[in-house]
Amino acid sequence: MAERSLHFSKSIYAGKQVDAAINVYAPYAEIERAEEPGAWVVKIVASSEGRAKKLEGELANYALGLTIRARKAVES
Amino acid sequence: MAETTTEGLAFAGLQFIEEGDAITFAIDASVYPLAAVYGASFTFIDRAYVFLSERDGGFAATLRHKKAPEGDVEAALQALAGEFANELLACAYREKLTEANRATLEAITMQAIGGAMGPPSLDELEDFDFSDEPFEDPLGIAMSWEEKYGKKEEKGTDG
Repeated sequence: MAERSLHFSKSIYAGKQVDAAINVYAPYAEIERAEEPGAWVVKIVASSEGRAKKLEGELANYALGLTIRARKAVES
Repeated sequence: MAETTTEGLAFAGLQFIEEGDAITFAIDASVYPLAAVYGASFTFIDRAYVFLSERDGGFAATLRHKKAPEGDVEAALQALAGEFANELLACAYREKLTEANRATLEAITMQAIGGAMGPPSLDELEDFDFSDEPFEDPLGIAMSWEEKYGKKEEKGTDG
């Protein structure tokens, strides 16, 4: 089993969108979420290092995309 | 102009370092606002994994190719870095232009809305000539379809 973790800064990522991204990728790995003072911490446990790394990248992209889209919607 | 530093290549307000198969930018927030960082990142998420974080009062952006590049990996990473730096600059400039023109755009919009919706002042009402004759309409353009072609009520009946 391989483990990776992401620290999503609260000033950059919207918590709701990070949660949405976790829900999308939850079927593919064990994903745990935790909260620190300045960040949401997401721990990914997958069957191999390659899979964990790929899921880490995909989840981060998804959360970023949703955060940007949500921000644009608020601005307009 | 780029210059070589101990940490890697540096542009104005922007530095990047290679970390294995990824490249990390240290971004000066006073030069590149978060909106510009978002904009540049968004254009890259289809071909690279992008992760943003905070660093030294600014931001850090880590990029990694989704598909391992063929050939020289280092050159591919540097090309990615250059493209990201260009995009970031373009986004920052666009942001500045929007900010600079915001007041003008708002003023024009407010005038347009004000002109369309604002009630006339008392002076304007005082000057208005209500004694105008109704305009002539010899072709019946202002008439409704019913008035023009509808069934006419029969006048006068027998008995």
